[in-house]
Amino acid sequence: MSAARNATKSTLTHAPLLAAAAITLIPIAWMLCAAVKSGEDFKWLFLPRGDGFLGIAWDHLTFSNFTRLFGEAHMGSAILNSFFVSSVSAVVATLACAAGGFALARYRFRGRGPITVLVLGALIIPPPLLLAPTYELLYHLSLLDTFTGLLLPGIAPAFGVFLFRQATIQSVPRELLEAARIDGCGELRAFFVIVLPLLRPMIGAFMLITFLMWWNNFISPQVILQDPQKFPLAVAISQLKGVYYQDYGLQMAATVVSVAPVMILFLLLQKEFIAGLTAGAVKG
Amino acid sequence: MRHYSLGVWIVVAIAVLSSVGVAVRGGHKAEGLTMWTFARPHAAMYRPIVDAWNENHDPGVDLQLLSLAAVEHRMLAGFYAGVETADLIEVERSIAGRAFTGPLEAVGFTDLTDRMREEGLIDRINPPSFGPWTSRGHIFGIPHDVHPVLLGYRTDLIEAAGIDVTLIETWDDFKRVMRPLIVDADGDGDVDRYPLAYWPTDLDKDELLILQAGGALFDADGRATIDTATNAAILAELVSWCVGPDRIACEAPDFTQSGNDLKRQGYAACYFFPDWMCDVWNKELPELSGKLRLMPLPAWEPGGLRTSVWGGTMLAIPKTAKDFDACWEFAKHLYLSDELARTLYRVGDIITPITEHWDDPVFDEPDPYFGGQAKGRLYIQMAPHIPARSSSPYNRRAIERVSDAGMRLLEYAKSGEVYDPGALQPKALELLHDAQAEVERQMARTAVFREGDSSKTSQDNPGGDG
Repeated sequence: MSAARNATKSTLTHAPLLAAAAITLIPIAWMLCAAVKSGEDFKWLFLPRGDGFLGIAWDHLTFSNFTRLFGEAHMGSAILNSFFVSSVSAVVATLACAAGGFALARYRFRGRGPITVLVLGALIIPPPLLLAPTYELLYHLSLLDTFTGLLLPGIAPAFGVFLFRQATIQSVPRELLEAARIDGCGELRAFFVIVLPLLRPMIGAFMLITFLMWWNNFISPQVILQDPQKFPLAVAISQLKGVYYQDYGLQMAATVVSVAPVMILFLLLQKEFIAGLTAGAVKG
Repeated sequence: MRHYSLGVWIVVAIAVLSSVGVAVRGGHKAEGLTMWTFARPHAAMYRPIVDAWNENHDPGVDLQLLSLAAVEHRMLAGFYAGVETADLIEVERSIAGRAFTGPLEAVGFTDLTDRMREEGLIDRINPPSFGPWTSRGHIFGIPHDVHPVLLGYRTDLIEAAGIDVTLIETWDDFKRVMRPLIVDADGDGDVDRYPLAYWPTDLDKDELLILQAGGALFDADGRATIDTATNAAILAELVSWCVGPDRIACEAPDFTQSGNDLKRQGYAACYFFPDWMCDVWNKELPELSGKLRLMPLPAWEPGGLRTSVWGGTMLAIPKTAKDFDACWEFAKHLYLSDELARTLYRVGDIITPITEHWDDPVFDEPDPYFGGQAKGRLYIQMAPHIPARSSSPYNRRAIERVSDAGMRLLEYAKSGEVYDPGALQPKALELLHDAQAEVERQMARTAVFREGDSSKTSQDNPGGDG
């Protein structure tokens, strides 16, 4: 009786979830199908119909979109750029935010309160508002069209600093730091050896969030970078969009290529990501 | 090592490896003048001309292909910040107006009016083609195209219905003559074919029809003139095409797969065809080759205008260009050459605005896609007559509001079963009044636009725009 009840409960829970998942997967399925189609086969919603197995014209499917992507559209360079920009900014921003958050949480210095308010205040400024002044600043620093100019403005986002401040308050006991200092531990060493390991769940989650954010970042690289050889995937893909004519096959192949690495990374690290996000949600 | 998770080390490893990759690859530094274009076919057409130019000129030109959004963002960010962008920029009409916001001296493009007059360029270019690139009497770019609009019709469907298109001179004729096309072939109660692909949500078609009918959304001083009796009459007529027992129009959107399916099925028999649209159909709907013909648009009244205009591009030189004279020489070489005029037509079906090239035999070549019609000649016959257009920064917003008014009028017509254009006109005027108020609110909100008299956006230009 109990087993039957459990089965019913499980079905009632999973059926709507499966339906929702199926709906979510429809665009992804369409993208995968479109990436291997060409020309007139776009008149079919998913795969082209024909006389083959399951009524599908398998012989119409082609990988030429992917070949063209790496040949004509030079997407290999864009993939390297995306990995570079996302990973470097994830590592640097994590270190900078952790250091900033730690300082605001555990050091007493003149102006700590106003700086914390400033960090909080910065959270409410919409990023598009900063576009023109950032562009001007980078121009005067001769950093336009450089990776440094792209990464520098995002090196210590206010969101990250505040996140690590809260994490430090919650996870790094003041007494532990004092004990380390009594034992002769310097501030830098304490940060790397004591603080960062204690912030481990937050570091994993923030690094992944930052990586994904930079991987999908479109507007800053589009405005700051000029040389097509430096374009990350998001910008390179947008270059494939025509004004009067759309090459859907090429665009979808590029989208598959751009989605795949982050999807793999997320699947590998999802436990850690969730652990970081839920850290502190339940007070022990 | 044990302090940090696998994910952290993976990201660190990617950072190290990709840094090495980027360092090994090195960089490419643009040399000479930089030119931005937004259309892949444009870049392909220009490349041989640019390469030939670079062999004999120093500085050369570095042609860069960017998306339209990238051109817009970089151009405006550069103009607002007063810093360098590219030396030459190809600008599409939908984004050009935004660069004309504010006082004349704040416009980021170099004023080319005097140069054009001195060198006689104004007389060599189709006058109405200057319209979108002219603000307050000053020309800021060399026109790339004309983009006259014709009506494309499916001969297979028209002939099967026994229709003679030569009987059509006005839209009233069109409605009467094309009526046999409205059929419910499968008997399910729904009409399977309409004569015309048009819907009020299609902003570009709204604009081209308003312009053709003699309507205008801005006057010569840049003031919004949306809620005029003329515009209300046009909107009421357009909505009457989409509703009621005399409905002639349906939605078959351009640039989408669903729209292309409807075109293949012949859901609509006639479509609006600016010159560049011929190339789009050729590429996206090759199976309709030989089944289409072009004819002048039906006029709104006997003897009225038989064409309109849709889209456009200019080549502009920003004030921050490194070497204006070199840019100007290259711009003229590129845009005025007979070689480009022929390539534009052969590759993109685009008619050049340089009138001296209009006698070129290329425009008399029969096009198999249109059943052997010499469509180039037909477009050129229409080119001098395209209606004048506004370069107002608020033009797009005004069209959006008119489109909204059209949809609300459509709902009003459906719910009240009011189908006569005359009866719809008072409601159309009321809705356009709301649209006008909203556009005026937006115009008043733009601070730089209020500075002095020079902030007005007169379209006093050689094409008589306004």
